[in-house]
Amino acid sequence: MATAVAEPASRPDTRGPTAPLPLSLFAAGAAAIAIVILGTLGIQAYQVVNGGPVTPACEAEGIEARLLGAEGVCHIIEGIRSRAQTVVWLLGIVLGAGAAAGGWGLYKRMPSKRQREQCIAGAVLGVQAIALSALLLWFRSGEIAPFIRNFFNAEVLAGTIDGFLRGMLNTVKLAFAGEVGGIMIGLLLAVLAISQRRTVRAPALVYINFFRGTPLIWQLFFIYAIILFGFGIQIETFTAAVLVFSLNTGAYAAEVFRAGIQSIERGQVEAARSLGMTYTQAMRYAIVPQAVRRVIPPLMNEFVILIKDTALVIVLGLTAENYELYTFSREVYSEFSNGSAFVATAFGYLAITLPLIRIVNAVEHRLRSGLTGVVGAGG
Amino acid sequence: MNPDGSLVKLENVHKWFGPNHVLRGIDLTIQAGNVVVIVGPSGSGKSTLLRTINLLEEPTEGRVLFDGEEITDIRTDVNKVRREIGIVFQSFNLFPHKSAKENVKLALEKVLRLSDGEAEERAMEQLSHVGLAQKGDAYPGQLSGGQQQRVAIARALAMKPKLMLFDEVTSALDPELVKEVLDTMKKLADEGMTMVVVTHEMGFAREVGTRLIFTDGGKIVEDGNPSEVFQNPKDERFKSFLSHVL
Ligand SMILES: Nc1ncnc2c1ncn2[C@@H]1O[C@H](COP(=O)(O)OP(=O)(O)O)[C@@H](O)[C@H]1O
Ligand SMILES: [Mg+2]
Repeated sequence: MATAVAEPASRPDTRGPTAPLPLSLFAAGAAAIAIVILGTLGIQAYQVVNGGPVTPACEAEGIEARLLGAEGVCHIIEGIRSRAQTVVWLLGIVLGAGAAAGGWGLYKRMPSKRQREQCIAGAVLGVQAIALSALLLWFRSGEIAPFIRNFFNAEVLAGTIDGFLRGMLNTVKLAFAGEVGGIMIGLLLAVLAISQRRTVRAPALVYINFFRGTPLIWQLFFIYAIILFGFGIQIETFTAAVLVFSLNTGAYAAEVFRAGIQSIERGQVEAARSLGMTYTQAMRYAIVPQAVRRVIPPLMNEFVILIKDTALVIVLGLTAENYELYTFSREVYSEFSNGSAFVATAFGYLAITLPLIRIVNAVEHRLRSGLTGVVGAGG
Repeated sequence: MNPDGSLVKLENVHKWFGPNHVLRGIDLTIQAGNVVVIVGPSGSGKSTLLRTINLLEEPTEGRVLFDGEEITDIRTDVNKVRREIGIVFQSFNLFPHKSAKENVKLALEKVLRLSDGEAEERAMEQLSHVGLAQKGDAYPGQLSGGQQQRVAIARALAMKPKLMLFDEVTSALDPELVKEVLDTMKKLADEGMTMVVVTHEMGFAREVGTRLIFTDGGKIVEDGNPSEVFQNPKDERFKSFLSHVL
């Protein structure tokens, strides 16, 4: 058994010394991007704290003081249009251009790896600062007043926190129920789909292809209609949505399970069968426990996709207590004729999906970094 | 036992993989207690021949009899037959998610329906037999190739089979690990186990084998006592094969 050689407490740094020139190029690039981002946010923060009443310029563009949240909207607009903001973006472009030109021109001549990397990093950051500033300047040249009024009105959101949180909860509920149902359907389908017998395999493959090959929004609509009018069953839209998500996820999960099972070396089944185990026993005790570890990351990816796809239930129309995030924002829009909740919704989805994405990446990394995840203790 | 007193009998066995005619009429009778060594060039059908004996490969044509039963009869319960025939593979095929001991215990509990205590006892007995009593809790990934292969042998032996099949079990091992596995097999032969061994280890064939079979092109072309066959080989292809491996 090989025992890894203990790593030295700190790895020796072999990248060589730095020098003033590459260091200042790096600093220029970093400063450029920092000025653009922090400067823009800083100006907005200043406006929140020190901004005055609605200005005549805002009034002229239809942001009248009597409207809900007019002051806040005007603050944002005035901030974007301020001279300070122009200075910030131009400064970002000038500094960024300096760093980009210097870094790009000089990196090949640097004597050490560290100096070369500092030149390159400075140039890259400089380009990013230029791109971001240019994009924001372009944005500002358009009709920003109606856009800000429609999507960045904090007062509209103020009273909707409860609805927002309920929307998040319902989004998770819908996706989770759909995923659990989908995993069960997927397991069954996978068992059928890997059968040697065509008669067993065929219906499963038809199912899988159908649900993978048609739009989810169509499935939601049509299956709901079939249940309601075809079978004549009075079903809640929420329940119908969970059912359709399960049916749809089942098709994808089946493919995941099938791939997972087929990725286990043939020798494993042979070993189990030659010990006298039945096909079912071989699957249950030898193959599936190994496959499970491999299907976790792709199943979690499916879950993340399903979380976002819950937005499609809007076509069925949920009852108020079941509003998920997207329906919630649409309802806020109807009530206030204002789309600020759509912006908030993005953060709601991200708050759910980002942690999951991080977990998937960590699990994948663990499985990939040698056998520890696959073989490790337990099981 | 078969009607003629043999343990295994292959009658005119043919195997096709698609258009590929891999076994071309194998007739082979193996007596209990024999150690039959099969040698032959790569691709000559040695593995396929071995694997038809426990029906991991189903013959396209011909009959296989084991211990008085025609196991190629569709009504035969293959799972029952396979309990009595152990096989060890070139690539070990241990269950990576189970410890050495669990690997041995699994079929004892699920197939032979032994209690946990009985299975535990028998597993430890078999692991000691292959010299791995202390490695019971180790996972395959933590064992050397030679140790893994000995666990695989213990796993097969724990079923108390009447016949053991070995398919190039030392081919995937580093040279210094080959001996420990061959020694284990020799010990088994000395205890009277009936064995069919596909191998490139000519020393083992000569020393342990009671019979040597040379296959080429899906046929048995040389068959006899190892020392005699090595001394005056008759078939030309066998002669040239020997000149390459010896
Ligand atoms: N499962 C299989 N499917 C298709 N062809 C196979 C299969 N197993 C073996 N063969 C083919 O049968 C021939 C004999 O293989 P094998 O019995 O493994 O030979 P050996 O063990 O003597 O090297 C080879 O040509 C091989 O490619
Ligand atoms: Mg082979």
